[in-house]
Order: sequence, then C-alpha cells, then structure tokens
Amino acid sequence: MNELEYLIVVIIVMALSTYFTRLIPFLLFSPGRESSLLNYVAKSTPPMVMMILVIYMLRDMSYYSFELVYTFIALAVTIGFQVYKRNALLSIVAGTAVYMFFVQI
Amino acid sequence: MVRSAIKISLPIMFGFVPLGIAFGLLFQNLGYPWYFASLMGIIVYAGAAQFMAIGFLSAGLGVVEIAMSTFFLNSRHMFYGLSFLESFGNWNFRKLYLIFGMTDETYALLTTIQVPEGFVKERYFLYITLFSQIYWVLGCTIGALLADFMTFNTDGMEFAATALFVVLLIEQWIMVRRLLPFIVGLISSIVALLLFINHMLLVAIMISIASIVFLRLIKGSSS
Repeated sequence: MNELEYLIVVIIVMALSTYFTRLIPFLLFSPGRESSLLNYVAKSTPPMVMMILVIYMLRDMSYYSFELVYTFIALAVTIGFQVYKRNALLSIVAGTAVYMFFVQI
Repeated sequence: MVRSAIKISLPIMFGFVPLGIAFGLLFQNLGYPWYFASLMGIIVYAGAAQFMAIGFLSAGLGVVEIAMSTFFLNSRHMFYGLSFLESFGNWNFRKLYLIFGMTDETYALLTTIQVPEGFVKERYFLYITLFSQIYWVLGCTIGALLADFMTFNTDGMEFAATALFVVLLIEQWIMVRRLLPFIVGLISSIVALLLFINHMLLVAIMISIASIVFLRLIKGSSS
C-alpha cells in the first residue's frame, strides 16, 4: 500500500465509521412507536447537550490567568448581544472579535 | 426558503469556514494533494475526527485503530439522532443525507430554530445541512490552497464555536424554560471533567442521558 492508497483507505474508513455513528439511532428506533420516555429524553437532550458543549469548549481554560478574564469578557459580550439583540451572528462575531483582540495583543 | 436557510445557517458559516481553513492548513503539512482536504470535508464531514486524522496519518496508524477511534470520537452523535427520529421524515435520500450531515453545529442549530410557517421542515433542514457542509468544504479547500502562500493570524478564532454554543444555549433556555435539563447537563459535565477529562464530551452526554432517564423513571413510579 503506497502513501496515497493509505490515505484513501483511511478517508473511506473514517467516512463509514462516522456515518455509522450518526445512523445507529435511526436504525434502532423507528418513529411512531416511541415511548413517552424516549420522547422525554429526546426533548431534554438539546438543552443538556448545549450546556455540556459550552463547558467542553471552556474546559482547557487555565485558572487564575489573564485568559480566564478575557474569556469571561468575551462570553459576557456574546451573552449580552444575544439577550438584547437576539441576533446569533452578531453575538458570535462580537464575542469572537473581543476574544481575538485579547489573544493577539 | 433557500435565502432563509442561508441566513439562519450564517452562524455555522462563521464557525466552519475558519475551522475548515485551519484544518486545510494543517492537512497540507502532511504533503498530500490539496483536494484530499476537500474530499475529507465531503465524505467524512466531521470536524474533530478530521483534525484527529491528521494525527493518524502522520503517525501511520492502522486502519482498525482509526476506525475504532473515529467511532468513539463521534459516538456522541448516536445520542443526537434521538432528537430527529420524527423530524427527519421518511426513509429516502434526503433523510440519509440529513443523518450524514448531523454534526455538533447542525444538531445544535436544528434543535434550536423554529421552522418558519409555510416551510416544509425536512426541506428546510436539508438546505441548512447542505449549506453547512458547503461552508465546511469551502473552508477545508481554502485552507489547503492557502497553505503554500500565506499566513494570517487566526489566533482566537476558535472562540466562534464556543460563542455559537453559548448563543444556542440561551435560545434553548428561552424555548425550554425547564431548569432540570440544564442542571443535569451542568452536573454531568463537572463529573465527566473530574473523572474522564480526555473523553469528557461523550462521558458527560452519557451521564446526562442516564440521569434524565433515571429521574424520569423515579418520577413515573411515584406518581
């Protein structure tokens, strides 16, 4: 197997593996005969996952550092824009701009 | 409908294009032709897994290890599908593609937005998913092509993904208005961080779903 063949095999294997993880729930559960428990789980999952994703993104932040300070400033800007303007793009651009400013100075 | 889908998916573009560019730039360090970066964006379409692939490829890891690592890295997506069992509609190519395109970002967006009146949900979802992937593939391609020419300071750009999730968290709160799932998510994250920092994301999602099932069953049996 030369290097290019290896790359192609890796890409195909990763594609199949990724698709399989996304397909599993649709193969295991068919809509219509869902239990109320499954419905409840499906409804509760997005808020839980969003909470987890936010914390996950912040997990590598070091404590007692300048990073902590500017990350909170950037988060406050993002939250502030989102609460008062309800414009997702604006909130993200503003928060990210603030964050990049502090990272790069 | 197309315009509305583009507009609502712009936050994803803002996250995916720079992240894709970062991937393309790194991928080019491996020395393969640029279009393989695009190909990965097209047929693998998984942010974290693609970044991990750069490590696999440079280490020359075995195919079985790669398949298993990819599976574990992406296994959180198994739980994402639960939210779409109904809303992806009947089995057809559209549904197969919607499932294929279910990344963290599209999951977050599709579970948060309200479908405008008069739009067919599945088609609206399809456009959003398709545009999201286009942003990603564009990013991967641009990054791979730029690798030889220029360097620009993207430090801090990764915050865009954090900001997207924060925005969607606020929107979830406005929609759901039940404290419990947020608290369960918070506690699960903390527990997962303390115990399994390397697999925090998957572990936290598993703990949170197990907890919510547990809480529901207790409540069900007492009432």
